[in-house]
Amino acid sequence: MKVIVTDDSLVMRKIIVNVVESLGHEGIHATNGQDLLALLEQFADEVGLVLLDWNMPGLSGVEALKAIQGNSRFRAIPVFMVSTESEDVKIDEALKAGAKGYLSKPFTPEELAAKIKDIFG
Amino acid sequence: MSKILLNDCGPEVTQMVNKLLGEKIAVQNSSFDAAKSLQQFNMVILEAGNKKPEELFQQVKSLRYACNFRNIPIILIKNQSDNRPNHSYIMAGATEILSLQDPPLACRQILQGYLIPNRQPLEQEMEYLTTFINSTRHVLKTMASMEAEYKELYFANDFRIFGDISGIIGLSGEAEGTAVITFYWDLARKVISQMMRVTDDKINAELIHDGVGELINMISGFSKKSFIGKPYHFELSLPTVVMGSGHQIGHPEDSSIAMLIFDMERSSFALQVCLKTKVKKRMIS
Repeated sequence: MKVIVTDDSLVMRKIIVNVVESLGHEGIHATNGQDLLALLEQFADEVGLVLLDWNMPGLSGVEALKAIQGNSRFRAIPVFMVSTESEDVKIDEALKAGAKGYLSKPFTPEELAAKIKDIFG
Repeated sequence: MSKILLNDCGPEVTQMVNKLLGEKIAVQNSSFDAAKSLQQFNMVILEAGNKKPEELFQQVKSLRYACNFRNIPIILIKNQSDNRPNHSYIMAGATEILSLQDPPLACRQILQGYLIPNRQPLEQEMEYLTTFINSTRHVLKTMASMEAEYKELYFANDFRIFGDISGIIGLSGEAEGTAVITFYWDLARKVISQMMRVTDDKINAELIHDGVGELINMISGFSKKSFIGKPYHFELSLPTVVMGSGHQIGHPEDSSIAMLIFDMERSSFALQVCLKTKVKKRMIS
Protein backbone atom coordinates (compact mmCIF):
# COMPACT_ATOMS: atom_id res chain seq x y z
CA MET A 1 0.00 0.00 0.00
CA LYS A 2 1.23 3.50 -0.80
CA VAL A 3 1.84 5.95 2.03
CA ILE A 4 2.46 9.58 1.05
CA VAL A 5 4.91 11.27 3.42
CA THR A 6 4.54 15.05 3.24
CA ASP A 7 7.22 17.21 4.84
CA ASP A 8 9.41 20.01 3.50
CA SER A 9 12.41 18.44 5.30
CA LEU A 10 14.18 15.80 3.21
CA VAL A 11 15.76 14.27 6.33
CA MET A 12 12.40 13.98 8.07
CA ARG A 13 10.79 12.45 5.00
CA LYS A 14 13.55 9.85 4.74
CA ILE A 15 13.22 8.99 8.44
CA ILE A 16 9.46 8.55 8.12
CA VAL A 17 9.67 6.66 4.80
CA ASN A 18 12.16 4.26 6.42
CA VAL A 19 9.59 3.48 9.10
CA VAL A 20 6.80 3.13 6.55
CA GLU A 21 8.85 0.73 4.43
CA SER A 22 9.96 -1.27 7.46
CA LEU A 23 6.26 -2.03 7.93
CA GLY A 24 6.00 -3.35 4.38
CA HIS A 25 4.38 -0.34 2.71
CA GLU A 26 5.63 1.84 -0.15
CA GLY A 27 6.67 5.33 0.93
CA ILE A 28 6.19 8.24 -1.48
CA HIS A 29 7.79 11.63 -0.89
CA ALA A 30 5.78 14.86 -1.08
CA THR A 31 7.63 18.10 -0.36
CA ASN A 32 4.62 20.30 0.37
CA GLY A 33 0.84 20.53 0.29
CA GLN A 34 0.61 21.17 -3.43
CA ASP A 35 2.86 18.21 -4.14
CA LEU A 36 0.63 16.04 -1.95
CA LEU A 37 -2.54 17.01 -3.80
CA ALA A 38 -0.87 16.36 -7.17
CA LEU A 39 0.22 12.90 -6.00
CA LEU A 40 -3.28 12.15 -4.74
CA GLU A 41 -4.67 13.05 -8.16
CA GLN A 42 -2.30 10.48 -9.61
CA PHE A 43 -2.47 7.68 -7.01
CA ALA A 44 -5.62 8.21 -4.93
CA ASP A 45 -6.86 4.66 -5.46
CA GLU A 46 -3.59 3.17 -4.27
CA VAL A 47 -2.94 5.41 -1.26
CA GLY A 48 -3.73 3.92 2.12
CA LEU A 49 -2.42 6.72 4.33
CA VAL A 50 -1.10 10.29 4.24
CA LEU A 51 1.42 11.45 6.82
CA LEU A 52 1.38 15.23 6.89
CA ASP A 53 3.51 17.97 8.40
CA TRP A 54 1.91 21.30 9.39
CA ASN A 55 4.35 24.13 8.70
CA MET A 56 5.46 24.00 5.07
CA PRO A 57 6.11 26.63 2.43
CA GLY A 58 3.04 27.40 0.33
CA LEU A 59 0.03 25.29 1.28
CA SER A 60 0.19 24.41 4.99
CA GLY A 61 -0.61 20.96 6.28
CA VAL A 62 -4.00 21.94 7.64
CA GLU A 63 -4.89 23.74 4.40
CA ALA A 64 -3.96 20.60 2.46
CA LEU A 65 -5.97 18.52 4.93
CA LYS A 66 -9.07 20.66 4.33
CA ALA A 67 -8.56 20.34 0.57
CA ILE A 68 -8.43 16.55 0.94
CA GLN A 69 -11.60 16.53 3.02
CA GLY A 70 -13.30 18.69 0.40
CA ASN A 71 -12.53 16.22 -2.41
CA SER A 72 -14.79 13.18 -2.65
CA ARG A 73 -12.01 11.12 -4.26
CA PHE A 74 -9.62 11.72 -1.37
CA ARG A 75 -11.89 12.09 1.63
CA ALA A 76 -11.73 8.45 2.67
CA ILE A 77 -7.91 8.37 2.80
CA PRO A 78 -6.79 8.64 6.42
CA VAL A 79 -4.52 11.60 7.14
CA PHE A 80 -2.22 11.55 10.14
CA MET A 81 -0.42 14.73 11.21
CA VAL A 82 3.27 14.51 12.12
CA SER A 83 4.35 17.96 13.24
CA THR A 84 6.28 20.17 15.66
CA GLU A 85 2.95 21.85 16.51
CA SER A 86 2.09 20.23 19.81
CA GLU A 87 -0.30 22.67 21.49
CA ASP A 88 -3.74 21.27 22.30
CA VAL A 89 -5.47 24.02 20.33
CA LYS A 90 -3.47 23.08 17.21
CA ILE A 91 -4.13 19.37 17.66
CA ASP A 92 -7.84 20.09 18.07
CA GLU A 93 -7.78 22.20 14.90
CA ALA A 94 -6.21 19.36 12.92
CA LEU A 95 -8.58 16.74 14.28
CA LYS A 96 -11.61 18.94 13.53
CA ALA A 97 -10.25 19.47 10.02
CA GLY A 98 -10.35 15.72 9.54
CA ALA A 99 -7.01 14.30 10.72
CA LYS A 100 -7.31 10.78 12.06
CA GLY A 101 -4.48 11.25 14.50
CA TYR A 102 -1.55 13.38 15.54
CA LEU A 103 2.08 12.67 16.43
CA SER A 104 4.26 15.50 17.73
CA LYS A 105 7.92 15.82 16.78
CA PRO A 106 10.33 14.67 18.09
CA PHE A 107 9.39 11.01 17.97
CA THR A 108 11.17 7.70 17.89
CA PRO A 109 10.74 5.38 14.91
CA GLU A 110 9.05 2.93 17.27
CA GLU A 111 6.43 5.54 18.27
CA LEU A 112 5.69 6.32 14.62
CA ALA A 113 5.50 2.64 13.69
CA ALA A 114 3.03 2.02 16.51
CA LYS A 115 0.80 4.87 15.28
CA ILE A 116 0.86 3.58 11.70
CA LYS A 117 0.01 0.06 12.83
CA ASP A 118 -2.92 1.45 14.84
CA ILE A 119 -4.30 3.18 11.74
CA PHE A 120 -4.07 0.08 9.60
CA GLY A 121 -5.50 -2.01 12.41
CA MET B 1 42.53 33.55 39.35
CA SER B 2 42.36 33.88 35.54
CA LYS B 3 44.27 31.38 33.45
CA ILE B 4 45.92 32.74 30.34
CA LEU B 5 47.51 30.72 27.57
CA LEU B 6 50.41 32.37 25.75
CA ASN B 7 50.73 30.76 22.34
CA ASP B 8 54.06 31.12 20.50
CA CYS B 9 54.81 34.19 22.60
CA GLY B 10 58.36 35.40 22.98
CA PRO B 11 59.89 36.79 26.19
CA GLU B 12 58.87 40.35 25.34
CA VAL B 13 55.14 39.50 25.12
CA THR B 14 55.34 37.24 28.16
CA GLN B 15 56.93 40.03 30.15
CA MET B 16 54.34 42.52 28.90
CA VAL B 17 51.41 40.31 29.95
CA ASN B 18 52.84 39.61 33.38
CA LYS B 19 53.56 43.29 33.90
CA LEU B 20 50.13 44.44 32.75
CA LEU B 21 48.03 41.91 34.61
CA GLY B 22 50.22 41.25 37.64
CA GLU B 23 49.41 38.61 40.19
CA LYS B 24 45.81 38.12 39.22
CA ILE B 25 46.67 35.66 36.50
CA ALA B 26 48.23 32.24 36.00
CA VAL B 27 50.17 32.15 32.76
CA GLN B 28 50.95 29.06 30.72
CA ASN B 29 53.36 29.23 27.81
CA SER B 30 52.88 26.87 24.92
CA SER B 31 53.75 26.48 21.29
CA PHE B 32 50.79 26.38 18.92
CA ASP B 33 48.90 23.08 19.01
CA ALA B 34 45.71 22.91 16.96
CA ALA B 35 44.52 19.81 18.77
CA LYS B 36 44.71 21.27 22.24
CA SER B 37 41.41 22.12 23.91
CA LEU B 38 41.34 25.62 25.35
CA GLN B 39 38.26 25.36 27.54
CA GLN B 40 40.22 25.68 30.77
CA PHE B 41 41.60 29.12 29.85
CA ASN B 42 40.07 32.57 30.36
CA MET B 43 42.13 34.11 27.56
CA VAL B 44 44.47 33.08 24.77
CA ILE B 45 47.25 35.37 23.53
CA LEU B 46 48.95 34.59 20.23
CA GLU B 47 52.04 36.42 18.99
CA ALA B 48 52.12 37.06 15.24
CA GLY B 49 55.90 37.27 15.03
CA ASN B 50 57.11 36.69 11.51
CA LYS B 51 54.41 34.26 10.55
CA LYS B 52 52.97 34.56 7.06
CA PRO B 53 49.42 35.95 6.94
CA GLU B 54 47.88 32.67 5.77
CA GLU B 55 49.62 30.68 8.52
CA LEU B 56 48.54 33.21 11.13
CA PHE B 57 44.98 33.20 9.80
CA GLN B 58 44.80 29.40 10.09
CA GLN B 59 46.26 29.47 13.60
CA VAL B 60 43.68 32.01 14.76
CA LYS B 61 40.94 29.93 13.16
CA SER B 62 42.22 26.73 14.81
CA LEU B 63 42.44 28.43 18.19
CA ARG B 64 38.88 29.71 17.85
CA TYR B 65 37.63 26.20 17.02
CA ALA B 66 39.59 24.78 19.96
CA CYS B 67 37.59 27.11 22.22
CA ASN B 68 34.53 24.93 21.50
CA PHE B 69 32.14 27.88 21.43
CA ARG B 70 33.31 29.06 24.87
CA ASN B 71 33.55 32.78 25.52
CA ILE B 72 37.36 32.89 25.43
CA PRO B 73 38.93 36.05 24.02
CA ILE B 74 41.78 35.47 21.57
CA ILE B 75 44.24 38.36 21.59
CA LEU B 76 46.64 38.68 18.67
CA ILE B 77 49.88 40.59 19.34
CA LYS B 78 51.40 42.11 16.22
CA ASN B 79 54.44 44.29 15.68
CA GLN B 80 53.52 47.88 15.01
CA SER B 81 55.41 47.71 11.73
CA ASP B 82 53.12 44.88 10.63
CA ASN B 83 50.75 46.57 8.19
CA ARG B 84 48.76 43.49 7.34
CA PRO B 85 45.02 44.19 7.57
CA ASN B 86 43.39 43.07 10.79
CA HIS B 87 39.99 42.30 9.33
CA SER B 88 40.83 38.77 8.23
CA TYR B 89 42.10 37.81 11.70
CA ILE B 90 38.96 39.18 13.30
CA MET B 91 36.87 37.14 10.89
CA ALA B 92 38.99 34.07 11.69
CA GLY B 93 38.12 34.45 15.34
CA ALA B 94 40.49 36.94 16.95
CA THR B 95 38.80 39.11 19.52
CA GLU B 96 41.32 41.95 19.71
CA ILE B 97 44.55 42.90 17.99
CA LEU B 98 47.24 44.72 19.95
CA SER B 99 50.88 45.54 19.43
CA LEU B 100 53.87 45.70 21.73
CA GLN B 101 54.10 49.39 21.02
CA ASP B 102 50.56 50.25 22.11
CA PRO B 103 50.29 52.33 25.30
CA PRO B 104 50.61 49.96 28.29
CA LEU B 105 47.76 51.50 30.24
CA ALA B 106 45.38 51.09 27.33
CA CYS B 107 46.50 47.48 26.84
CA ARG B 108 45.97 46.72 30.51
CA GLN B 109 42.44 48.13 30.45
CA ILE B 110 41.60 46.21 27.30
CA LEU B 111 42.94 42.90 28.63
CA GLN B 112 41.36 43.38 32.05
CA GLY B 113 38.09 44.20 30.37
CA TYR B 114 38.10 40.85 28.60
CA LEU B 115 38.66 39.09 31.93
CA ILE B 116 35.57 40.59 33.56
CA PRO B 117 33.23 37.67 34.26
CA ASN B 118 30.13 37.46 32.11
CA ARG B 119 26.92 38.44 33.88
CA GLN B 120 24.66 35.85 35.48
CA PRO B 121 21.26 35.20 33.90
CA LEU B 122 18.20 36.83 35.41
CA GLU B 123 15.53 34.59 36.91
CA GLN B 124 13.07 35.38 34.12
CA GLU B 125 15.75 34.57 31.54
CA MET B 126 16.43 31.18 33.12
CA GLU B 127 12.72 30.44 32.94
CA TYR B 128 12.77 30.26 29.16
CA LEU B 129 16.40 29.23 28.76
CA THR B 130 15.85 26.15 30.92
CA THR B 131 13.01 25.16 28.59
CA PHE B 132 15.28 25.44 25.56
CA ILE B 133 18.00 23.44 27.32
CA ASN B 134 15.59 20.65 28.15
CA SER B 135 14.09 20.71 24.65
CA THR B 136 17.51 20.45 23.04
CA ARG B 137 18.44 17.44 25.13
CA HIS B 138 15.05 15.82 24.53
CA VAL B 139 15.12 16.29 20.75
CA LEU B 140 18.63 14.88 20.37
CA LYS B 141 17.90 11.97 22.68
CA THR B 142 14.64 11.10 20.92
CA MET B 143 15.62 11.64 17.29
CA ALA B 144 19.31 10.71 17.37
CA SER B 145 19.70 8.67 20.58
CA MET B 146 22.45 11.09 21.61
CA GLU B 147 23.10 12.55 25.04
CA ALA B 148 23.80 16.28 25.04
CA GLU B 149 25.32 17.58 28.23
CA TYR B 150 24.53 21.19 29.00
CA LYS B 151 27.76 22.84 30.16
CA GLU B 152 27.48 26.59 30.47
CA LEU B 153 25.74 29.78 29.52
CA TYR B 154 27.05 33.22 28.69
CA PHE B 155 25.71 36.32 27.05
CA ALA B 156 27.34 37.04 23.70
CA ASN B 157 28.26 40.52 22.59
CA ASP B 158 29.27 39.37 19.14
CA PHE B 159 27.09 38.45 16.16
CA ARG B 160 29.75 36.13 14.78
CA ILE B 161 29.48 32.40 15.29
CA PHE B 162 32.54 30.23 14.83
CA GLY B 163 30.95 26.95 13.98
CA ASP B 164 30.48 25.49 10.52
CA ILE B 165 26.71 25.35 10.14
CA SER B 166 23.78 27.06 11.86
CA GLY B 167 20.06 26.41 11.78
CA ILE B 168 18.10 29.57 12.44
CA ILE B 169 14.45 30.05 13.27
CA GLY B 170 12.53 33.23 13.85
CA LEU B 171 10.20 33.51 16.83
CA SER B 172 7.28 35.93 16.88
CA GLY B 173 4.12 36.50 18.85
CA GLU B 174 3.87 37.46 22.54
CA ALA B 175 7.65 37.29 22.48
CA GLU B 176 9.96 37.75 19.54
CA GLY B 177 13.49 36.77 18.76
CA THR B 178 15.58 34.04 17.22
CA ALA B 179 16.88 30.61 18.10
CA VAL B 180 20.02 29.30 16.45
CA ILE B 181 21.77 25.96 16.72
CA THR B 182 25.39 25.83 15.57
CA PHE B 183 27.51 22.76 14.96
CA TYR B 184 30.96 21.88 13.82
CA TRP B 185 30.69 19.96 10.58
CA ASP B 186 31.74 16.53 11.88
CA LEU B 187 29.30 16.62 14.76
CA ALA B 188 26.48 17.79 12.47
CA ARG B 189 27.19 14.85 10.18
CA LYS B 190 27.19 12.48 13.13
CA VAL B 191 23.88 13.79 14.46
CA ILE B 192 22.13 13.55 11.09
CA SER B 193 23.51 10.06 10.47
CA GLN B 194 22.18 8.97 13.87
CA MET B 195 18.78 10.52 13.13
CA MET B 196 18.59 8.65 9.85
CA ARG B 197 20.07 5.45 11.29
CA VAL B 198 22.75 5.25 8.60
CA THR B 199 26.55 5.41 8.62
CA ASP B 200 28.34 8.78 8.37
CA ASP B 201 29.52 8.16 4.80
CA LYS B 202 25.92 8.12 3.58
CA ILE B 203 25.35 11.69 4.77
CA ASN B 204 26.04 14.44 2.25
CA ALA B 205 26.01 18.21 2.60
CA GLU B 206 22.39 18.46 1.47
CA LEU B 207 21.20 16.17 4.23
CA ILE B 208 23.29 17.97 6.86
CA HIS B 209 21.93 21.31 5.69
CA ASP B 210 18.35 20.05 5.80
CA GLY B 211 18.75 18.15 9.06
CA VAL B 212 20.19 21.08 10.99
CA GLY B 213 17.23 23.18 9.95
CA GLU B 214 14.85 20.48 11.09
CA LEU B 215 16.64 20.19 14.44
CA ILE B 216 16.17 23.87 15.34
CA ASN B 217 12.58 23.56 14.13
CA MET B 218 11.93 20.68 16.54
CA ILE B 219 13.80 22.27 19.47
CA SER B 220 11.86 25.51 19.12
CA GLY B 221 8.58 23.71 18.48
CA PHE B 222 8.99 21.52 21.56
CA SER B 223 9.91 24.56 23.67
CA LYS B 224 6.92 26.54 22.44
CA LYS B 225 4.40 24.30 24.17
CA SER B 226 5.81 25.24 27.60
CA PHE B 227 5.08 28.91 27.02
CA ILE B 228 1.33 28.72 26.38
CA GLY B 229 -0.36 31.50 28.29
CA LYS B 230 2.98 33.02 29.29
CA PRO B 231 4.73 36.21 28.17
CA TYR B 232 7.31 34.18 26.23
CA HIS B 233 4.85 32.41 23.91
CA PHE B 234 5.79 32.54 20.24
CA GLU B 235 5.06 31.15 16.80
CA LEU B 236 7.77 29.77 14.54
CA SER B 237 9.00 30.84 11.16
CA LEU B 238 10.33 28.31 8.68
CA PRO B 239 13.95 27.52 9.49
CA THR B 240 16.89 28.67 7.42
CA VAL B 241 20.43 27.32 7.41
CA VAL B 242 23.74 29.11 6.89
CA MET B 243 27.18 27.59 6.49
CA GLY B 244 30.71 28.86 6.82
CA SER B 245 32.90 29.76 9.77
CA GLY B 246 32.49 33.22 11.22
CA HIS B 247 29.02 33.68 9.75
CA GLN B 248 27.07 36.46 11.41
CA ILE B 249 23.51 36.26 12.54
CA GLY B 250 21.39 39.30 13.22
CA HIS B 251 19.25 39.43 16.33
CA PRO B 252 16.54 41.84 17.48
CA GLU B 253 17.81 45.06 19.01
CA ASP B 254 17.83 45.59 22.76
CA SER B 255 17.77 41.91 23.61
CA SER B 256 20.29 39.64 25.22
CA ILE B 257 21.83 36.84 23.20
CA ALA B 258 22.22 33.82 25.44
CA MET B 259 24.76 31.24 24.28
CA LEU B 260 24.06 27.79 25.67
CA ILE B 261 26.98 25.40 25.28
CA PHE B 262 26.51 21.65 25.13
CA ASP B 263 29.08 18.87 25.00
CA MET B 264 28.29 15.78 22.99
CA GLU B 265 30.36 12.98 21.44
CA ARG B 266 33.68 14.57 22.49
CA SER B 267 32.67 17.78 20.70
CA SER B 268 30.47 20.77 21.42
CA PHE B 269 27.62 22.68 19.88
CA ALA B 270 25.91 25.93 20.77
CA LEU B 271 22.32 27.07 21.03
CA GLN B 272 21.77 30.82 20.81
CA VAL B 273 18.50 32.10 22.18
CA CYS B 274 17.50 35.70 21.83
CA LEU B 275 14.00 36.33 23.13
CA LYS B 276 12.23 39.37 24.45
CA THR B 277 8.66 40.05 25.38
CA LYS B 278 6.81 42.80 23.59
CA VAL B 279 6.36 45.87 25.73
CA LYS B 280 2.73 46.87 25.90
CA LYS B 281 2.43 50.63 25.58
CA ARG B 282 -0.07 52.37 27.79
CA MET B 283 -1.87 55.54 26.95
CA ILE B 284 -1.31 58.08 29.68
CA SER B 285 -4.10 60.58 29.89
